[in-house]
Amino acid sequence: MIPDFDQQGKAQTKEWAPEVSAPAILLENVSKSYGRIFALSNITLALNGGVTGVLGMNGAGKSTLFNILMGKLKVSQGSVKLFGTNPWKNTAPYARVGFVPEHEKLYDWMTGHGFVSTFARLNGLTRDEAKIEADRVLNFVGLTDVAHKKMGQYSKGMRQRAKIAHALVNDPELIILDEPLQGCDPLARTTIMNVIRELGRMGRTVLVSSHILQEIERITEQIVILHQGRLLALGNLHAIRERLDQIPHRISIQAENPKALAKNVIDIDEVFGISFPDGKNLSIQTHNLGAIHSQLPRIIVENDHKITSIDNPDDDLASILGYLTSGGGA
Amino acid sequence: MNPSEENQPITEPVATQSVEYAAEAPVTGKGRLEAAWGSTEGDEDLSVSTPTTPKTDGQIFKQQYKTWNGELNPRWMRNWAILRHHLLGVFKKGHRPWGVAIRLYLLVVFIASMSDVGMTLVSGVIGDSGLHSVWGVSRDNLYGHVLGFFPRNMLYYPVVAALLVGGVISEDRQHGTSALYFSRPITRFDYVAMKFTSVAMIQGLLILVTLALYYFAEILTMGRGWAWIIDTFPMFLATVFSAILLIFTYTSIGLALSSVSKGKFFPGIALLAIILGTKVLAFIVSNLFDREILYLISPYDCLAHVGQAIIGTQPTYDQYSWTWSLASLAAMNGLALYVLSTRVSSMEVTRE
Amino acid sequence: MMATKPDTIYRAFDRKASAIVEFTLRQYRTRTSTWVVLGVGFTALALIFLIYIDVMSSEFDSYDNDGDSLDYDNDGYPSGQEIRLGTDPWDSESHPGLFDPPVEPDPVSMYINEDGFDWDITSKLGKQTAGYDDDGDCLNSDKTASQKDTNDNGVPCDIVVEFYRTSDGQIYSEIDADFGVDEDPDEDAYSREAIHLAFVLSIGKLGFVLLLGIFLPLFMATGLIRDEMTSGTMHYMLAKPIARSEVFLYRTLGYLGIVWPYVIALGILGALISGFVGPSESFFRFADLGVWLAIIFATMMATLVYGMLFNALGVFWKYGIILAIPFAAWELGMALLSMGVPDATILRFSVVGWALMIVDAAAMMVWPNLDLFIVMGWWGGGEGGVFKSLDGAAPLDFFSSKPGMGLSAFSATIVATLVLLFQAAILWFIGGALFKGKEIQ
Repeated sequence: MIPDFDQQGKAQTKEWAPEVSAPAILLENVSKSYGRIFALSNITLALNGGVTGVLGMNGAGKSTLFNILMGKLKVSQGSVKLFGTNPWKNTAPYARVGFVPEHEKLYDWMTGHGFVSTFARLNGLTRDEAKIEADRVLNFVGLTDVAHKKMGQYSKGMRQRAKIAHALVNDPELIILDEPLQGCDPLARTTIMNVIRELGRMGRTVLVSSHILQEIERITEQIVILHQGRLLALGNLHAIRERLDQIPHRISIQAENPKALAKNVIDIDEVFGISFPDGKNLSIQTHNLGAIHSQLPRIIVENDHKITSIDNPDDDLASILGYLTSGGGA
Repeated sequence: MNPSEENQPITEPVATQSVEYAAEAPVTGKGRLEAAWGSTEGDEDLSVSTPTTPKTDGQIFKQQYKTWNGELNPRWMRNWAILRHHLLGVFKKGHRPWGVAIRLYLLVVFIASMSDVGMTLVSGVIGDSGLHSVWGVSRDNLYGHVLGFFPRNMLYYPVVAALLVGGVISEDRQHGTSALYFSRPITRFDYVAMKFTSVAMIQGLLILVTLALYYFAEILTMGRGWAWIIDTFPMFLATVFSAILLIFTYTSIGLALSSVSKGKFFPGIALLAIILGTKVLAFIVSNLFDREILYLISPYDCLAHVGQAIIGTQPTYDQYSWTWSLASLAAMNGLALYVLSTRVSSMEVTRE
Repeated sequence: MMATKPDTIYRAFDRKASAIVEFTLRQYRTRTSTWVVLGVGFTALALIFLIYIDVMSSEFDSYDNDGDSLDYDNDGYPSGQEIRLGTDPWDSESHPGLFDPPVEPDPVSMYINEDGFDWDITSKLGKQTAGYDDDGDCLNSDKTASQKDTNDNGVPCDIVVEFYRTSDGQIYSEIDADFGVDEDPDEDAYSREAIHLAFVLSIGKLGFVLLLGIFLPLFMATGLIRDEMTSGTMHYMLAKPIARSEVFLYRTLGYLGIVWPYVIALGILGALISGFVGPSESFFRFADLGVWLAIIFATMMATLVYGMLFNALGVFWKYGIILAIPFAAWELGMALLSMGVPDATILRFSVVGWALMIVDAAAMMVWPNLDLFIVMGWWGGGEGGVFKSLDGAAPLDFFSSKPGMGLSAFSATIVATLVLLFQAAILWFIGGALFKGKEIQ
């Protein structure tokens, strides 16, 4: 309760020594419930180093997870440790953390530079140090040109980058970005992705959330998948994909004569099921997507089928999640 | 022929892709959700892993709009719906939520406003004429019921008005819920008039209903006859009129403030600051310098002055005629209603 | 991560605290409502200052309190002159014009305000004797010794002033004057002084401590934390290594950073206006500065406590204002109560009661004879006169009050300041604890 008299950012009068051995993030059996609704349910997770993508639909619990890590929400059960310290009780670990909240709202009346340097001082930097640091991070995220313009005039991409700059100003070891790509145009997306990749290369622990697999794929291979508050998958994206390959894939072909096409296709060894959703479509089920795709063109050409479209409905996060949640999980 | 049949596509629709699950999958109803979720949000140009399949078929629906020939409910019925929505919110759920604290305060004020009713009943029951002469219906007590400063016009009625006007228009502006009204056949005038009426009616419930109860309590407990009623009724009507004037003034100033601000805080505090602040300033000046002219900018004092004149109690303002106060009230209400109408008619139906 | 060289005090506080304070100030600066509120406050007080200046620059009507300027018998000589010279004021056949040589009639103005206060006493308990018969209608007349000593204290032509304490602890006064002593005081001198004093007290207590003290925090402090929580921008601040109660404190300091200079500026303006315009022998009333200092200080304390309170209410509940509004009305009632019953126990459960105590204590220190002055005004020339009390005595009596609790002026100031600081600290503690327990979405 007593204010921090030396103002150096210890936040608590009790001496706080970071546990050197503790991972950046450690969650043990964490649950968060609102009444009878569980926003997070029994999550156990340890993360240290590298860029990790947190994937999940809206409402999957990504923001709840981040807010728990940032000490804004109190866990209902389990324990959270940020560098070995409970963030709800003690804000001291934030000296080593940068956080980009999901909220769009910014202080429109401030300049980008003012915003970053003011909040840098909350980390215990003096005015002069903060200005130098602000220049550095604004340059890092590519906002030097507009640093002294009011943030109200920024585009969405610039605003996201200003938020990232604000989070990076204390040179954090752990950076948490909640939906940093939301609402950005492709150019801003690329810039922000480069920034995140760069941070990963610098050896920081980066946690970035998104609901779009393709975005995460371009940034990192290490992913965490959340769904309805539960941890669905954790690890390398490709490893997860391969595991998913054990699960039947579907190929959907729209043809003039699906029945005839089916006769040809059934000969391929890897096909183990065929169905006709309606008169115009043929759906193939397989364990080996690649093998089918290598043979399909030949069959079509040889038998002179009229094909309107070929589609792999399973090749996105939606269907990965579909499989994981429908009980066939890897 | 119903309108939905009109919108049939010209060409036969190509059956859309169906989402399919393995046979053992439970029916969860998640299909729609997940199908909606593969959004790429503008990333199409850059995506590398999405196989692009050209859509060969497209379709254009012929747009035919048919005028709706149904019967639109009369205007009063639509307005009644708005009014009811605001009024019933005080009593039960499912209507405009007024907040527990506001409702609690309304209840407290309602009970506190009936202190004179209670004392009249008590004095009637125990037959104490001394007590009755203090609390029973008289010119001064009728005036005091509506226009007494402490505690009624300090702690009760302005605070109630402040709490009520707090969010009535400004919250609609802030949350963009005014669009819910303006996307329906409701004029802006009706919208603001109903807001006004509902806020005024809730105050009327506190002031006018307790006033009527007070008058009837006197008739019942003291067994007043027609002679007394004929004697006192003009005085009662004058009190009702001053109460209506008071409610109208507080509401119009409050709603004008509510229409110029965004938050819920500002209008409430500003109304209280206007009513109590001007009162205190005028009080200082009249006490110190023996100049009452500043009472003309205080809504409460103008109301009290006009009330004293028409109810016929001993006037406490004697440096100018009560018509000045009436004119000042008219000016205040005119200004407030002008601000309210211009703000509402120029209100953008967006979230601010 | 950063330089570890030892900090100077300035450098030490040029980090978190000053960052949030500065941020808060700049945030206020961008809001229209801030300027509207400050502007309206200034306009309201300026209006009263203007009326004050107008009143002070006009002449107060002089009354002939004892009626001796009138010529009852229409012989052309005011009755005062006739009494002095021993003719019968009721008999037109008896006047100084019949003397040898004849005496010219004195101008009427000689008999208005001809015998002012000569009270060289203080307002202490017990009997004191005061007064001097300037016009000689007691000393020089041909009255008998017992007629010159109507109050029977053995001294001819004086006034006995007695302050006594009743069993309930209240101090009352009784004035018993010999007939014809100080019976026609100068209204302009008295009323000008009394209205000036009443003005300083009333504008200080009601204008500054009450109105500014309550409404500035209501408008400006309620949303300090709550607005940020609602708009979601609180996330930026809380993602930093800073305790929430610190954020609460520094935000409140930022609010004080705009409110305190404003209060000080208005206070100085008031001190200057009343100092130059008020009645004074030199060009400026330096003595009043002590009271103005107390007014500024009390207002600062009030804005501090209310700021902490309303900020905490905002943290406590989304609609904290609903709790704040009835509270503000309560404080207004307490302020009016303190004018009449400064000793009421219920005042101790308010903020404004304590803050007003500081002003009252300062008035008691700076104007030690305020009570005597009020007593003089109420007496106003005695029962024999036409007008009993003088203009200005009533408002001065109303707006001034004892500090309460039977404390001396100095200890009352100390106690009130400590209580207010304690209230602020408790409210900070509560606000910080509430904030710490809040989950922020």
